[in-house]
Amino acid sequence: MTTDEPPILPDDDWRAAEYALGLLDGAEAEDAAVRAAQDPLFAAEVQRWRLRLAPLLEEIAEAAVPPALWPRIAASLGGAAPAASAAARASNDNHSGDRRLAFYRRWSIGATAVAAALGLFLLLDPRAQPIAPMPVTPAEPAAEAPMVAAMAAKGSDARLVATWEPGARSLTVAAAGDMPNDGKHSHELWFIVTGAKPRSLGVMPLTGRMHAQLAAEIAAALKQGTVLAVSVEPVGGSPTGQPTGPVVASGALLPT
Amino acid sequence: MPDLAVVPGAPAGFLFPQRSDSAMERWMEQPVSEPTLARQELVRLLRDVAGGDRTALRSIYDRTSAKLYGICLRLTGSEEDAADALQDVYLTVWNKAGRYEEGRASPITWLALIARSRAIDLLRRRKATPDPIEAALDIPDEHPDALTLVSAGQDRARLQHCLGTLDDRGQQMIRAAFLDGQSYPQLAAREGVPLPTMKSWIRRALQRLKGCLES
Repeated sequence: MTTDEPPILPDDDWRAAEYALGLLDGAEAEDAAVRAAQDPLFAAEVQRWRLRLAPLLEEIAEAAVPPALWPRIAASLGGAAPAASAAARASNDNHSGDRRLAFYRRWSIGATAVAAALGLFLLLDPRAQPIAPMPVTPAEPAAEAPMVAAMAAKGSDARLVATWEPGARSLTVAAAGDMPNDGKHSHELWFIVTGAKPRSLGVMPLTGRMHAQLAAEIAAALKQGTVLAVSVEPVGGSPTGQPTGPVVASGALLPT
Repeated sequence: MPDLAVVPGAPAGFLFPQRSDSAMERWMEQPVSEPTLARQELVRLLRDVAGGDRTALRSIYDRTSAKLYGICLRLTGSEEDAADALQDVYLTVWNKAGRYEEGRASPITWLALIARSRAIDLLRRRKATPDPIEAALDIPDEHPDALTLVSAGQDRARLQHCLGTLDDRGQQMIRAAFLDGQSYPQLAAREGVPLPTMKSWIRRALQRLKGCLES
């Protein structure tokens, strides 16, 4: 409790906050909605409050979407103008030069919605381990199905692909292009289960190619959404058991 | 790559950075690929949706529907209402994707707020009485790990800090309103206090929260 309370805001200023939080109902809510549509300053204040509190939404776990929902949504869109679609295709073509995205998309396209959502949202909320059966797509990957992690990072040219075969507990990592060797550093491979500290999978050979059969205990942790990462460490690996150098590439395991 | 230096003799295309600060610090400062790429991908898809590309909307749906449905379900408390709200959400995205501004909010925040608004609209239309406050009392993670910070930036930590400066009641009321769609009259009835008392509690909490977030 502070002694110097800020001055009470004018009544009008509360309306935006109250509307943003959803505290109003009935006529008050309708009035505020009309005002938000007409008054840009009011609308901006509403949005400011929503953005302030938006991080709370990360606490809400994912839930299994009824499979029949997408067809319903698609049917309600109405016909898309062909011209607009052509424009969108052209816009897609413009992006084809973005090699990093293309690299990522190669692995994420065809992955199930679950996989894509996991890659995104498990990172957002460590507690949001989906409780429900896997949502959205009926084609849930079998537990033993191989998975792939495409590893890259902002500000780094490193590109690696890890292939994980749970049945054989076989992990293969391959770098795209050469791995550097300045004699003073090693690359160390880590896995990160959401909400836990990184754990080492070992120092990578200079070739950038690595194959390992993992212990059952580690294998159990390598699931869809588990993040693999490569950091730069002193020769021989991290002295602390945790990454000490920059992370030059990382990516989540997704079904192939 | 401003802070990466060329190591003499190193093969081109993959360079050793010279700094070796804490990896976690760097991780937090410079988002790793997954959230960054997922975000860029969503921004791109929203642009395509604005251009009328249905396939892009489907891609957004595939990436986000489980999360947004979770939000709708939490707020409406009913699978049927959550499905209706989610349909509204993607119709809104279809019609308003062009209004997304990358500089103002991350795409997933923008989408999550749309989901919340549509769910609350539906709640108010239905005049339903949502679940009791217990759901609003989930205590958030006190120590979000590095990857959480990567995706949420400082915002989440700051909000948690500032919510922590409120008294328990103020926190609970704000969470009940924002996460469970509880209105003033519902909160007042549940707490057994007159409406003006509830308004005064919440306004005081909001005022303190705003002061903390802006300090």
